[in-house]
Amino acid sequence: MFATHRVKLTALLFAANAGLILHLLVGEIKPVMAWDWLDIAGEGGSALLLLLWTCLLLKSRPAGRVTNLLFLGLACLFFSLFMDSVDEFIALPDAITWDGWLESGPMPISFVLLTMGIFHWHREQLAINEQMRNRERVFREHRHFDKLTPLGDANYLRTQLQLALGEAADEQQPLSVIMLDIDGFSRVNHGYGHAEGDRLLQVLTQLMLLNLRQHDLLCRLAGDRFVIILPHTGERQAQVLATELSEAVRSLAYKSSRHGERMSLSATVVALMAREEDSEALLQRLNITMVRTKRSLTIHCGRQTG
Amino acid sequence: MNNWLECDTRFIPAHYQPASLIDLALGRGVNVHRLMQGTGLFHDDILAGNLLISPLQFLQLIANLEQHMQADDTSFLLGEQWLPGHYGAASHALRHAANLHEALERLVCLQPLLWPLLRVRLRVDEYHVWLDWGDSFGAGKQNVFLIEAGMAAVTGMSQWLSGQRLPWTFHLAHTQPRYIEQYWVHLGDDLRFNSPLNQMCLPRSYLPQPWSSASTTAGQVAEREGQAMLAALPASQSLLDALHDHLVAQVRQPLRLESVAEAFDMSPATLKRKLQKHGTRFQKQLDHARSSVALELYLSRGYSSEEVADYLNFNDRANFRRSLRRWTGLLPGELKDWLRGT
Repeated sequence: MFATHRVKLTALLFAANAGLILHLLVGEIKPVMAWDWLDIAGEGGSALLLLLWTCLLLKSRPAGRVTNLLFLGLACLFFSLFMDSVDEFIALPDAITWDGWLESGPMPISFVLLTMGIFHWHREQLAINEQMRNRERVFREHRHFDKLTPLGDANYLRTQLQLALGEAADEQQPLSVIMLDIDGFSRVNHGYGHAEGDRLLQVLTQLMLLNLRQHDLLCRLAGDRFVIILPHTGERQAQVLATELSEAVRSLAYKSSRHGERMSLSATVVALMAREEDSEALLQRLNITMVRTKRSLTIHCGRQTG
Repeated sequence: MNNWLECDTRFIPAHYQPASLIDLALGRGVNVHRLMQGTGLFHDDILAGNLLISPLQFLQLIANLEQHMQADDTSFLLGEQWLPGHYGAASHALRHAANLHEALERLVCLQPLLWPLLRVRLRVDEYHVWLDWGDSFGAGKQNVFLIEAGMAAVTGMSQWLSGQRLPWTFHLAHTQPRYIEQYWVHLGDDLRFNSPLNQMCLPRSYLPQPWSSASTTAGQVAEREGQAMLAALPASQSLLDALHDHLVAQVRQPLRLESVAEAFDMSPATLKRKLQKHGTRFQKQLDHARSSVALELYLSRGYSSEEVADYLNFNDRANFRRSLRRWTGLLPGELKDWLRGT
């Protein structure tokens, strides 16, 4: 990400350097005795931290309007604090007044720019939240993002399930959960390679997201097993959703990336309504239901469910 | 034979098991330099295809992978790729096994090629087949990772080649981890944590069921080629495995560091130093050998505690209780409860 912002960072460092040279040209370096260490640590330290913020911002954000505003705001703030700390080392003749402008001038500009940047950042975040629908509820924890699919992982699922159970108990509303497991997924990994398996999981994630309602939450439990939290949903409605998901997987015409042949897919989907239990017990019960369903499907229908 | 594989013996081809580890890490966006940190290896050398690495280097790679991937399924994913794997004749021998029994026997026989870091022992009793996982080179902190990978590998391989999910039971020596869902999905739901040993168990009837995709002749030829590859290694067995076998064979004799060192043709100080290098001590190895003998007697022969104590030459019951507790973490009564669950 840094490469695209190289010009911005160079310009900032060039400006800071120019300010320093300007001071050196007209002023004299103060004797060490006259240095005010508290001011140096306060102003210099703040300037360094601001430079760090600027770098982190540039490293993590794609280029664009919001990034430019935030960068310019931080850059002005850095510049003014930097000039302030240069002042501690170099004494300027009294006749010179432009140093005050260099120190204080950029400050209000930076606050205006930062305010605009944060406002647009807020708008951007709302737009991203809309894109995260069905994948995130109430709070975000980036350490709980799944590494493969754009979903929350098992840890995120656990905290969300605990929250949803609490809400359901408070509001006296039913809460249901669905578990979905792809049948014979290991054959995809063995037959087509793990890269193909990963791609299939990503496609299936998108497929499931398309089949959910506004407030449902999809998480990846592990491997090819997914869990969906359905607030305000009774068992019967959950069963309907489960059947729909299973049909959606069956009618997906997924093509392998190498030869483009269609893979026939099916999934075992089970739905349960939460009782008075904690998230761990509910997950355990859900998993046992899944194992039993798979076993009986294998025995009675000869279906390859592995 | 006076030669053993040790933790610093370079015998693992870097383009075998380590290569799939590197591919997985790179595929998930781990920086290649960070992955290689502290191993003394370079990616270009591995790509050359003739580099041999030591168990210590391999373990360091795994430690780096764990640190930089930060995902709970890494060990399971890697394990599923490691067997049958792409290790020439040894992998072909597995791929073309006629049934599970033959596959497991070949896995045990060609283990230094197929699964270099852990020892696999196979035991078939009246009702069950037991697969026991031992530590060949002192895996230390990476032990849980390797056990997870090993069990996922055998589960995955037996499922793929037999075309069905086999009802394995898993005995795990560690406590139940936070990411239990990975065990559910990659291994199964029959899991027993805090067990005395790391074992997998399956009803015996699954052993002879024929596998359809096998080519028997190709499998036999590959097995012979695999044995030739095995003979080309600096040694056929790791020091810790050889020691374990010796201790198990002599378990009814009084065993001391001095006499065992003599049997291994080295001074007691040398044996002690070598064990230290592998992060273990003589007493720990002796305890482990005794616990695996005791467990076998309990599990497969249905011995009572008295009979086990007698077999291991314990005259004193209290002493036996204390020792059993040290080996397995369980008292005879607790062990009996645990066994009843199997």
